[in-house]
Amino acid sequence: MTSATQNRIDEDVWIPTCCGQCYCMCGIKVRRQNGVVTEVSGNPDAPSGRGHTCVKALASPHLLYDPYRVNYPLKRTNPEKGLGVDPKFVRISWEEALDTIVQKLEECREKDPRGAYFQATTTQASEIRFGVIGFMKGFGTPNYWVSGGGLHCGNGAHFMNGIMHAAWSIIPDFAHCNYALNFGCSKGHGAGHVAVQNATQAADARARGFKNIVFDPFQSAQASKGHEWVPIRVGTDGALALGLINSLLNEHGIYDAEYLMYKTNAPYLIRPSDGRYMRDKETNKPLVWDLIDNGPKVHNDPSVTRVEYEDVAHEVALLGSYSVDGVECRPAFDLLKEHVKKYTPAYVEQVTWVPAATVSRIAKEFGEAAEIGSTVTIQTSKGPKKIPKRPVATHFFRGTQGHVNSGWTCLSVDLVNHMVGAADTWGGAFGLGAAVGSGYEGTGKPYQIPYPCPDGLMVAKTWVYDHVPYPMRVPKPPTRLDLHDMFPTSIYNAFTITSPRWMELLERFKIPYKPDVMINFGSNSVMTMGNAEAVTENFLKQFNFIFSFQLYITEFEEAVADIVLPDACFLERYTPAVSFPSTFSHPQGEDDWGWSIRQPVVEPLYERRDFNVVMLDICKRLGILGKYYKGLNDSIGIRYGGDMDEKYKLVEDGSVEHSWEDVCDRMLKDRFGEEHGLEHVRQKGVFTWPKKKEDVYWKWFNPVRVPVYFEYFIDSGEQIAKLWDEFGGQDFFDLDWSRFKALADWHPCPTHTETNSEYDMHAFYWRAVMHTNSMTQQNPYLDEVSQEDPHVYGVQMHKDTAAEKGIGDGDHVWLENPEGHRVKGWVALTDGIEPHHLAIAAVAGHWGNYMPIAKGKGTFFNDLVEMDLPHTDPLTFNQDICVRVKIYKAD
Amino acid sequence: MTASQLEATAKSLRETTMPRWGMVIDLKRCYGCYACVMACKVANHTPPGVFWSRILKGEAGSFPNTVRQALPVLCMHCDEPSCMEVCPTGATQQTDEGIVIVEQDKCMGCKYCIMACPYGARYSVEKWESYFPEGLPLSPYEEFAKQAWEEKSGCGVATKCDFCRDRIAEGREPACVEACPADARIFGDLSDPNSEVSILIKRHRGEVLHPELGNKPKVYYLAPR
Amino acid sequence: MDPKVDGQIQTEWGWLVAIYLFLGGVGGGAYTIAAINGFMGEGLALSTRVGLWIGFPALLIGSLFLLADLGSPARAILAGMKPGSSWIARGFWIITVFMILALLHLALYLYTDIGGAVLAVIAGAGIVFAVLTMAYTGILLGASKGIPFWRTGVVPVVFVVSAVVTGHFTIMLGMTLFGEAAAMGSSLRTMALEAAVLVALEVLVIAFFLQAAFKLPDQRESAERILRRRSFVVGYFILGLAVPLVLMLVVYGSLAQDGAAISLPLVAVGALLGLVGGLILRQSVLVCGALPTLNIAGFQFRRVARPKQRKPSMGMLPPQ
Repeated sequence: MTSATQNRIDEDVWIPTCCGQCYCMCGIKVRRQNGVVTEVSGNPDAPSGRGHTCVKALASPHLLYDPYRVNYPLKRTNPEKGLGVDPKFVRISWEEALDTIVQKLEECREKDPRGAYFQATTTQASEIRFGVIGFMKGFGTPNYWVSGGGLHCGNGAHFMNGIMHAAWSIIPDFAHCNYALNFGCSKGHGAGHVAVQNATQAADARARGFKNIVFDPFQSAQASKGHEWVPIRVGTDGALALGLINSLLNEHGIYDAEYLMYKTNAPYLIRPSDGRYMRDKETNKPLVWDLIDNGPKVHNDPSVTRVEYEDVAHEVALLGSYSVDGVECRPAFDLLKEHVKKYTPAYVEQVTWVPAATVSRIAKEFGEAAEIGSTVTIQTSKGPKKIPKRPVATHFFRGTQGHVNSGWTCLSVDLVNHMVGAADTWGGAFGLGAAVGSGYEGTGKPYQIPYPCPDGLMVAKTWVYDHVPYPMRVPKPPTRLDLHDMFPTSIYNAFTITSPRWMELLERFKIPYKPDVMINFGSNSVMTMGNAEAVTENFLKQFNFIFSFQLYITEFEEAVADIVLPDACFLERYTPAVSFPSTFSHPQGEDDWGWSIRQPVVEPLYERRDFNVVMLDICKRLGILGKYYKGLNDSIGIRYGGDMDEKYKLVEDGSVEHSWEDVCDRMLKDRFGEEHGLEHVRQKGVFTWPKKKEDVYWKWFNPVRVPVYFEYFIDSGEQIAKLWDEFGGQDFFDLDWSRFKALADWHPCPTHTETNSEYDMHAFYWRAVMHTNSMTQQNPYLDEVSQEDPHVYGVQMHKDTAAEKGIGDGDHVWLENPEGHRVKGWVALTDGIEPHHLAIAAVAGHWGNYMPIAKGKGTFFNDLVEMDLPHTDPLTFNQDICVRVKIYKAD
Repeated sequence: MTASQLEATAKSLRETTMPRWGMVIDLKRCYGCYACVMACKVANHTPPGVFWSRILKGEAGSFPNTVRQALPVLCMHCDEPSCMEVCPTGATQQTDEGIVIVEQDKCMGCKYCIMACPYGARYSVEKWESYFPEGLPLSPYEEFAKQAWEEKSGCGVATKCDFCRDRIAEGREPACVEACPADARIFGDLSDPNSEVSILIKRHRGEVLHPELGNKPKVYYLAPR
Repeated sequence: MDPKVDGQIQTEWGWLVAIYLFLGGVGGGAYTIAAINGFMGEGLALSTRVGLWIGFPALLIGSLFLLADLGSPARAILAGMKPGSSWIARGFWIITVFMILALLHLALYLYTDIGGAVLAVIAGAGIVFAVLTMAYTGILLGASKGIPFWRTGVVPVVFVVSAVVTGHFTIMLGMTLFGEAAAMGSSLRTMALEAAVLVALEVLVIAFFLQAAFKLPDQRESAERILRRRSFVVGYFILGLAVPLVLMLVVYGSLAQDGAAISLPLVAVGALLGLVGGLILRQSVLVCGALPTLNIAGFQFRRVARPKQRKPSMGMLPPQ
C-alpha cells in the first residue's frame, strides 16, 4: 500500500478460512480493510494449500460483491416453467419465503416425505454433509443427487478407488515417485482434488526428475509438463490399462508376487463352475493354496498371512491348478493373467490409437521403474520398519472415467498399480484424499483405519456416504425416485429420472409417491448434467415446487425455481469441517493432518443467509429439530471418523435449540477436546496434528486385502437382475447385467461404434484451472484471464483437420451429435490435439440473463450429452461424456 | 525463500551492500495456472486490460510431437531500462535496489515508455473502468480498488510492476511469488552469489529474454529441462 | 468472424499522434522550402510567404494534438527534463526553438523590412531546426525498443522525405487557394516537377523501407500487416503517391507552352491527395507496430489474438 492508502485504512486484518470455489477447499487468508474484503492469499498454517492457492480463490473479492448476486428472497410469478421462459421474479421477505417453503414441505410430508428431493453442488461439499444429509434423515427422504458431480466425474472413480484404496481417488506419492502414468487427469496441474497442494508437489517432483507419461487426446497442462505425451483416443483408457497389464504379466513377466500373495485376493482359489471363491467347509472363508504345506488354507491363516513386510509366511500359489475337495480350482491371479491376454499390443493399438510398440515399451519401463523387491525403512510410531519401495504409479480421474466403460476402466487403470505392488506404499499410488489415520492423540478421533471383512477384503472405516463402497449393499426393492436402492454399485443415475417415461417407471417399480418438492443447494443442473431440454422437461418439470439456495439466478432458477433464497457464499459463513472427511480432499503424503474450518470474513451482506442456518430454521418450523439433530449426529460417525460422544451430541429430543455455531463448536470439541472448540480453531482456521508414517504408507501395516478379482460382483449382478426382472424393468431399459463379472474388460462407447461417417469428430471437455462447474465465468476477473488464454473459451481443433473442412482460426461453428442436438462455439486452431478430436473447456456457454458476464462465453458442451441408457455405464451408471459430432461453420 | 529469510537477508545486506533485486522463473515448474496474474491484479488493484504480471502461452512442433509452454512475463526491472532512457520528464527511475518505478506526479502520459519496452510490461489507463457493466453503482471492493489504484498508480500515466516494493519493505515477497502453487517464481538478491536466485541462475543456466537488445533484464528464466 | 484484437500490436499511439507527427512534418517541410525559396529571390515570393504561413501554425496545431494525446497534459511542462536520453525531451526543445524561429521569421518577413544578414541568420537557424523537427518525428519512433518495425534503420529517412513532400504539397495547395492564377503559372510548373521528383524519391524510400522490414520476423509481421491494410494500399500508395505523381506530371506537361492556363483544381487535388496520403502513412506505421515475440527454449510467445469482447451488457439484475 502507498502511504496515502495506509493512512486512510483503520482496519487491516487477515482472517483464516477456507475457499469455497471448488471442492478442494484450500486454506486461505482473507484480508479485510475497513470492513471490505480486498485480498486473498494462501494460509501457510493449513496443510491444504500450505500458503498457496489458485486463481479462483484469488479472484474471490468480486464474488462477494458481485452486483448480480441474489441478495433478497425471490418468488416466481410466472407459473410457466421451461428453458427460455421469463420467470418474472419479485422480491419477497424471508418470512414469506420460509412460510411458503414450510407449507410446501408440510404438504409434501403429508403425502409422503420421500417426495422431497435434495439437489446439491459438489463445490460446497462440506456444507452438504450437514444441511443436506441431516435434513434428509430428519425429514425422512432418501432422494438426493449432485447432478453432474458424480455422474460426470464420480460413479466409477470413487466407487473403485473406495474399494481399492478407501479413498475418493488416487494420486502418485509425488515426494518419492519416479515414473507415473497419467491417464488424462489434471491432478497436479490445476484441477482435481487437493489441486493446489498437488500442484506444489508435482512441481517439486518435476524439479527432481520425476517422469509423468501422459495419455491424453490433447496437449493438456499435464501433457505439456509431462515427460512424454502419448495421444490416445478418448474413452479408451481402459483398453490401454488392460494392455499394459497384459504386457507386464505376459510379455515382460513383471509383477510383484509378494504383494499379490498377501495384500490382494489374487491367490484366492476360484471354482470353475460359477467363478466364486472356493470356500472352506467349516469357516466358509475363501481358500488359498499353501505352497510349502502343499494344501489349501483359509486366507487369513497365520501361516499364510503377512501383515507387515518383515512378517514371515508361507508362499501361496498365484498360478496353476489345485484340487480342493475334488474340484480343480485356480488362483484368481491365474484367471486374470489369462483373461488379459486378449489385450495384445496390436489390439490395444487398434482400439486406442496408441502404437503397439509404445504400449509394450511403457509397460516395460513402468515395470522396471517399480523396483520390485526393493525396500525402504521408515520411522513409525513403533520404531523403524521396512516397507516396499515402489516408485511408480498410475493415476486418472474424470476424463478417463466418464464413459460407458467407466467402472471397469477405473479399476483397470488402478490395477496396474496393484500388479507391481505400488499401492499405498513408498513412491506408489496413494489414495486421495489421505484416507487412513489413527486420529488426534488426545481423542483418538478421527479414527480411520480400514479393516478386513470376513473374506479378508478391505472395508473403509470412513466414507463420504452412509454406505461404504464395499461390502456391497444388498439390492432392495426401490424406494428412491431414481430406483437407486436397487443398484449397489452406483451412487446416482440419470437415465431413470431424465427419461420421458420416468412416471411410468415409478408406477411399475411400485414407488408409491411422486416427486414433489425439490430443494436445490447451489447446483445448476440445467447446465451441469446433460442435454438441457431433457433435464428440464423430463426431470425438473415433474416437481410441484422448487426452491433454491443460490448465489446467482442461474439457468436453473430461470427455468424452474419457484423461490430463490439468497445464499451466503464461503466468505460469509461457518463450516465446522472442510478438509474432512479426509478421504475426499485432504493432502496425501507426510505433511501434518489439518482439520480446517470456515469462518465468516464479513457478516452476510444484504439479506443473504447461510444455508445451514436456514436449514435449522426450516427444521424448527417443521417441528423436526430433534430429528434433524439426530440426523446430523448419525451422519458424523461414518464421515468424520467416529460417533459423537454423548457429552457433545446435539440433543435429539428437540428440547434444546442449537445454533449453527453451537453445532460447529460441539463437533470440534468432540473431535479434538474441550479446549479445541470453535474459538480455538478460529485463530488459525485449522487444527493440525502430526501424521504417523505408518498411516501414510499404510498398506504393509494393515491386514486388509484388495480385490483383483471381483467375485462379489457376480452375486450383486444376479441379485439386481432378479429384482429387476421381478418388476419387469426390461420393458423400460434393456440393462446389460453381464458387466457384473469378476474380471475387468474394456467396452466401447457409442463414440467408438458410431457408423455414420458424417459424425467424424470425437468431442470431449476438459477442466480449465480457472473454472469450476458453471459458476466461475460470471466472475469478471476469471472471465478476463479466460480471454487471455488462447484455448479456454474456444473449441480446440487440429489445424489440418480444420483446413480440410475449410474452417479458419476464430470461425464460429456448430457441433452436432447424431441425436440432432447442437452447440455453438468458435474454433481455436492448434497442433496439440489428436486430429480426430475437439476439446472444449468447462461448463460454459451460458445463456441466462442474470449472469451477463458469463453469458455467451465458451461452448455449452453438456447439451450434447445424452442421458439415456446407451450413454450410461451398466455397472456404475456413470455418464458417458464423450460425443461424436460433425462440425461445420455457422453463418 | 521464506518471508523471515528474506527479511534477514535484506537486513544484513543493507548493513553491508545494497541488494539488487531480481527474479527467477522456472519454466519447468510453471504450468500456466494464472495464479500469479490474479495475485498481482488483486494486490495492485489493476483495472481491466492491465496485466502487470501476465502469462503468454506458446506452442511448438507438430502433432504428435507438440509441446506447449506457459511464459509468465512482467516488468524485467532491467539494469539498463529502455523505458527510463526515453522518459522525457524523468518520471521513470530506478531505485538503488534496482527496481524500476514510475513517479506518478512527474508522468505526463506520453506513453513513449510503453513503445520503448520490448517486453510489453507497461500500461496506461486513460480512465478507470469497472469490471461490471456500465451504469451500476460500484461495489465496496471496486470502490476500494479504484481509490487504491489512483493512490498507487493513477490514470493518465504510465504504470507497471514495481516488484511489490511495499511488500518487500515489510519483509514479504512480491504477490506473484507468494501465490505461485508450483513455487516457480523465486525472488532475491542478484548481487549476493549465495542467494537462491543466483544459485539457480548458475546451476540451470538461467537466461533472459531478448538479451541482444541490451536492456540487461533482471528476470531470469530457467528453460524447461 | 468476430473482429479480433491482436495482442501483439501496440494500441497506445493512434490518430492523435499520427496527426501530430504529420503536422510536424508538414510544418518543418513547408518552412524549409519557404526559407530556402526566400534565399532564392522574388520569383518565389508567393511560395515563401505561403510556406512561412504554414510553418508555425502547423506546429502549433500539431502540439495541441500532442497535448490531447497525453494522459496528464498538465505536466507537459516537464517534458523537456531529460534531453540527455529521451527523444521526446529533445523534441520538446527542438520544436520549441523551431516554433520561435518560425514565428520570428514570419513576423519579420511580413511586418518589417528587416532582411539581409539578420534574416539570413534566422532563416538559417530556422532551416536547421526545421530539418531537426522533420527528422525527429522519425528518430522518435526509431528509438522505440519495443517496436522492431519502427527500428528498421531507414524510418527517419522515410519521415523526412515524406515531410518534405507533404510540406511541398501544402505550399502548392496554399498557393492555389490564396494566390492569383495568372501570376503563378511558372512557379507552379516548377513546383509540380519538384513534387513529382520528390514523390518518386518517396516511392523509392518507402519501397526500400518495406523490403528492409521483411528481413527479420518481428518486423516482417508488421510489414505484412501494413500491406494488408486497405487504407494504406489505396489511401497511401495509390491515392497518396501514384495519383499525385501522375497529376503533377500532367500539370507540368500542360504548362509546357507559354501562356497555357493552369488547372488549379488539378493541382489542388493532387496536393490534397498527397497530404492525405502522408497522414495515412504515419497512422498506418503507428497502428501496425508490433511488439517483438518473446522467444525462449524454442518457443515463440505471442499475446493472444481473440475475438473482441465488448464490455458486458447490463443483462438483468435480480429484483432489488
